Amino acid sequence: MTAHVDTDVDPQAPPAQATWQSKLARAGLRALPHVGRWAAAIAGALLIFSILVSFKGANPIDVFGDMWTSTFSRSRSIGEIFIRMAPLALAALAVVVPARAGMINVGGEGQVIVGAVAAAGVGLATDQVLPGGVVLLLMAIAAILAGALWAGIAALLRLVFNVNEAVTTLLLNFVSLDLLLFLIYQPWRESPTQQPATRQLATEAQLPTLAATGVHVGIVVAVIAAVVLALALGRTRWGFRLAVVGGNPEAARRAGMPVTVLLLSALLVGGALAGLAGMIEFAGVETKLRPGFGTQIGYVGFLASWLARHKPVPVLIAAFTLAALAVGADSLQLDSGLPAATINILTALLLMAVLGWTAFRKKAA
Amino acid sequence: MSILIDVATGGVRGGTSILYAGVGETVSERSGVINLGTEGSMLGGALAAYVLAAETGNPWLGVLGGAIAGAVLSSVHGVLVVRRGANQFASGLAVLFLALGLTSLFGAAYVGRTITSFQNYAIPILSDIPVLGPILFNHDPLVYLSYVVVPVVWYVLFRTRVGLLIRTAGERSEALTVHGFKVKNVRMLAVTVGGLFAGIGGAHLSIAYTNSWFENMIAGRGFIAVALVIFASWSPLRVFAGAYLFGAALALGPALQARGFGINQFALHVIPFVLTLVVLAVLGRRTISAAPAELKRVFENAPPDP
Repeated sequence: MTAHVDTDVDPQAPPAQATWQSKLARAGLRALPHVGRWAAAIAGALLIFSILVSFKGANPIDVFGDMWTSTFSRSRSIGEIFIRMAPLALAALAVVVPARAGMINVGGEGQVIVGAVAAAGVGLATDQVLPGGVVLLLMAIAAILAGALWAGIAALLRLVFNVNEAVTTLLLNFVSLDLLLFLIYQPWRESPTQQPATRQLATEAQLPTLAATGVHVGIVVAVIAAVVLALALGRTRWGFRLAVVGGNPEAARRAGMPVTVLLLSALLVGGALAGLAGMIEFAGVETKLRPGFGTQIGYVGFLASWLARHKPVPVLIAAFTLAALAVGADSLQLDSGLPAATINILTALLLMAVLGWTAFRKKAA
Repeated sequence: MSILIDVATGGVRGGTSILYAGVGETVSERSGVINLGTEGSMLGGALAAYVLAAETGNPWLGVLGGAIAGAVLSSVHGVLVVRRGANQFASGLAVLFLALGLTSLFGAAYVGRTITSFQNYAIPILSDIPVLGPILFNHDPLVYLSYVVVPVVWYVLFRTRVGLLIRTAGERSEALTVHGFKVKNVRMLAVTVGGLFAGIGGAHLSIAYTNSWFENMIAGRGFIAVALVIFASWSPLRVFAGAYLFGAALALGPALQARGFGINQFALHVIPFVLTLVVLAVLGRRTISAAPAELKRVFENAPPDP
């Protein structure tokens, strides 16, 4: 409500000093402590990471330098950031929508995998007979439905049996991982003598790339999804009602809102977005299912959503940052001889700083 | 018959790491804090135990190190959640990522190292009891320790003053404040103790069960432990049964394969997870009403229509 005070300026009131420069300056002053907190939080995370890395005999300055140059100085690695960012952003949006209704979707990991499994099932069955564009469309539909279905299981357990969705979505991650492994170790395995994996998706059915950049169109899908969601959550009745349910379900119920339907829709949309992320990773990057497919996209997406405070457009920035860190992690392995998973420390510290020290308090636990 | 004994024995052996973690998580949740970082505490505990066992040759020092590592990691969760008011689920996953990163950084050098691990020790007389003997009394010392620790935790939680404080923090925290206790301190204690047990659970996995260290070796057992606590209705004694059930489901695959049944291992591996979901659904309303009131607030930020 207070947000309207600034915009609905009383026309009778004197124009005061309401020039845009002074407004900007005041906004800047108000944001200053905020920016300071963020800067301190990030600096703290980097400092702790440096100390830990130096325990292993690596010079932190060199480590950051190598990561920076190898991540941002080559156009190929910049493209790589956008390629990794696309599924991460979608997986983060899969957390954003349920969070708006006060629910916690920890199941992005599994929803990404079932999305990819559905896309692979449809894609590998049709890519020899149908034109590539049609196959892509069918794969996207299958992935969206599969992701929504997977989240729908958790929604059902929540709405009918009153089981907390954070716990069920988490458990479903392991079910979907076993489903993936089951399929690629036997029924969908290309050859019993080679590594367990499906055959490759036909080239025509793979995601097209943006003119000569080598970056597939997934990033465009992710950006569109973020903008559409920002509008849907901020400007539609559905988005408004979700926010009411998330803020105070009892009030929403008394106001006659269909709380069950709203909660269900939030989780289904979330699952659908994560499913789409799985399809994009499959048709754009991996092109075959193998063990370890899509590992951590869901969990990192979860972290990205919290970094962005569950806001769709900032999610793009958070996903970009985490994708850049992931690309930098490869340099960690190549240049500094540290395991790539070491980057998880920095990711975790950043999130902890944001969760605990940037004035973002949902409800005190 | 022999397959049943094999599966039950495997259930006890494989379930022990989950048992420790589940008992720790019970303590934490009784105080009103759910900790998905249990997975991370187990991971930290597994590595710390492995490193100490490798360097000192004494697996008991490994257990000590594992307990400390688990406690330190969970206290990070405690600080974020209890002191800084962070979201419990997000903070737990952040702790898991911290543990994933730390253990891969410091564990890389220990992949493939051999250690002095715990050995099985058949308890005289008891292990000769038909059926129950091999199932319960032919194990490593950490399994026997769990037979003692879990009832002790139950006793402390339900029959002592400290336990009362912990449970009150989870049920009616205002009552603690009224009587001059600091709710935050009680919860910090409970969360840290929870991580300590998770660390021992991780230690069991690395220095008594698999006798190896590899990245991400906990593979979801910590998450299972969290779910287990819910379906055990926050009772340490029921966690026993649940943990062994999981262990048995995990042991079923190898037992069948050893007898020549060619079953896709992933079809069996999925059983504990599906089982948990089914049990949670069946017990859903009943368990949630048994939940500590403060924990219910964490769970039910948006309850469905009545």
